[in-house]
Amino acid sequence: MSAVPADSMRAPLRLALAGNPNCGKTALFNRLTGSRQKVANYAGVTVERKEGRFNGSDGRVYAVLDLPGAYSLNAASLDEAVTRDVIRGFYPGEAEPDVIVCVADATNLRLHLRFALELREIGKPMILAVNMMDAARRRGIAIDLPKLQEELGIPVVETVAVQRHGAAALIDAIESMGRHMAPPAKSLGVDIAHDADELHERTRALLAATVTMPTRTAKIDDALDRWLLHPVVGLLALAVVMFLIFQAVYAWAAPLMDGIDAATEWLGAAVGEALPEGPLNSLLVDGVIAGLGGVIVFLPQILILFFFILALEESGYLPRAAFLLDRMMAGAGLSGRSFIPLLSSFACAIPGIMATRSIQDPRDRIATIMVAPLMTCSARLPVYALLIGAFVPEREVGPFNQQGLVLFGLYIAGILSALVVSFVMKKWRRLRATDGGEHALLLELPSYRLPNPRDVLIGLWERAVIFLKRVGGIILALTILLWFLLSFPGAPEGATGPAIDYSFAGRIGHALAFLFAPLGFNWQICIALIPGLAAREVAVASLATVYAVAGVDDDASAQALAPLIADGWSLATALSLLVWYIYAPMCIATLATIKRETGSWKRMAGVAGYLFALAWLASFVTYRVALALGAG
Amino acid sequence: MDASLALQYLVIAIAVIASIGFIANNKFPNATRKLRVALAVPLVREGRPSWLRAIGRKIAPPPKASGTCGSCDKCG
Repeated sequence: MSAVPADSMRAPLRLALAGNPNCGKTALFNRLTGSRQKVANYAGVTVERKEGRFNGSDGRVYAVLDLPGAYSLNAASLDEAVTRDVIRGFYPGEAEPDVIVCVADATNLRLHLRFALELREIGKPMILAVNMMDAARRRGIAIDLPKLQEELGIPVVETVAVQRHGAAALIDAIESMGRHMAPPAKSLGVDIAHDADELHERTRALLAATVTMPTRTAKIDDALDRWLLHPVVGLLALAVVMFLIFQAVYAWAAPLMDGIDAATEWLGAAVGEALPEGPLNSLLVDGVIAGLGGVIVFLPQILILFFFILALEESGYLPRAAFLLDRMMAGAGLSGRSFIPLLSSFACAIPGIMATRSIQDPRDRIATIMVAPLMTCSARLPVYALLIGAFVPEREVGPFNQQGLVLFGLYIAGILSALVVSFVMKKWRRLRATDGGEHALLLELPSYRLPNPRDVLIGLWERAVIFLKRVGGIILALTILLWFLLSFPGAPEGATGPAIDYSFAGRIGHALAFLFAPLGFNWQICIALIPGLAAREVAVASLATVYAVAGVDDDASAQALAPLIADGWSLATALSLLVWYIYAPMCIATLATIKRETGSWKRMAGVAGYLFALAWLASFVTYRVALALGAG
Repeated sequence: MDASLALQYLVIAIAVIASIGFIANNKFPNATRKLRVALAVPLVREGRPSWLRAIGRKIAPPPKASGTCGSCDKCG
């Protein structure tokens, strides 16, 4: 072994893992770095940046960057642009990698070798890791690795990222190369960036010389695709999968969410008892503990949803689901990949918006984020239940329950509104488009494979950390501010009304009354809308506070409130408030997540603005029509 | 107002100010930086008492690194 200079031992060698999507790059990254990973975003964009480290047998530290998947250096998406710029050392704030590790799927070299050839032309030290060699052997694919190495002029190693020692050959090659870094020995000598035909020709020649492939696709893939991509059977199978996900997000999460709720209540009660009565007690119990509890309670739903998304993505089914739904979704200006984020938004818009990370096209992703809040999240249910229970008589309409029909109508109204909004956005985008309008959905349908539990668990851990860090920080700060607005100044001596009426929030509610009077909202409703900013369901508890109703929980408050509002409000007001909640942009956590995921205040303000405008207009129309029909 | 209540209000004031600071610093970094500069400059002028200038230096934001990215150790 040759000696390594001391100064070079101190500086970590920077490796960049590059490759096409679905080549097993992230599995290889997990294999190399284990749990020593840092996940963040690249500066200025919402493309995920994953970096990890490992120590070589010679004691050297290796910093590994898992670059976004790319098909070409001629970038067609933000992910590809980031990969191109980082590899070339042009990305602001990113150090240039010392060695490129190009990962290629051994079962799909026809596609993946093209990118390897492109990367080689950059002229940096490079290793080709031919991954999934076990799957290739099972399919009878024979790859002459020494010949491939000779043809490419770079080290070529085989890897099986999902096996314990599947990256040993790669680590050996990296350690060897770390001491003798040299650029590729061969070059095509042509400008492949502008000569795609030449690139295809070279790839074909390389394949012919080094790879023997009995069939282009695996028999099992063909057999499964005959059913799973069938226009009828495929859609039915997808419906079953989606039903399972939806059920799991709701049903499996419920006990965990109840547990978190109970833990939050217990902690609040314990802290409340330990501290003397006073404003600090209220800040900790009603502000900090309730605020954090209100955020963490969504964690089970998020983890269950991402478990399915990661497992489906790894299994190769997710691109097929997107393919099946693309035609339908495209009609409304969305893409097939929008389906799962929108479906999960029925539980909560926050995991739904976070799930849009699986949408590669930035325009489709933004469109999906913009309409996700229109899906009826579970937080709206307490408000709907209160108003429907108070104003809609419980009677049968044919085989259906009238209250159930109204609730169903509210859900449908949300879905139709989302489709209309995305359709309008699509038309608007076309008017402004300078690049030829809509992008076609280009999908690679990878081979089916069993998800690797280790990779799924690492993925879930990353999601949990991202969620708690990104949403928890801002929500905690905003909750403290909201608590302050709701609690100060306190009620004066001898005051008879509820304390909230005298607070800053109460005053804002009174000031806002003129804005909401055309919708039939009284000042009590206006005040309840403000704490509802923290979470929509808080509006019920706030109404209970304003009407001086004491209930031990939301259900009890709603039961006590129902007769009061049934007497005090007109049917027109109740309908107007119901319609308001279909569109209401009243969830700070959702807006904060939109800001985080889009990296843009403008977009967040755009979502809040259009939802507010829709809510106001729809409520106004509903109120006026209801009055005209004698519901005043 | 007894000492306990005064202390509670002090803690609340710190929590509220820290929350505002957190939101401003994280969500409006450029505006916060400009505000800190605007607040610090009058305090550090020649002729100000040393304690006032010390406060000004505390308020002033750290200088922006120019030409370096801060992400590697290759700048020398």
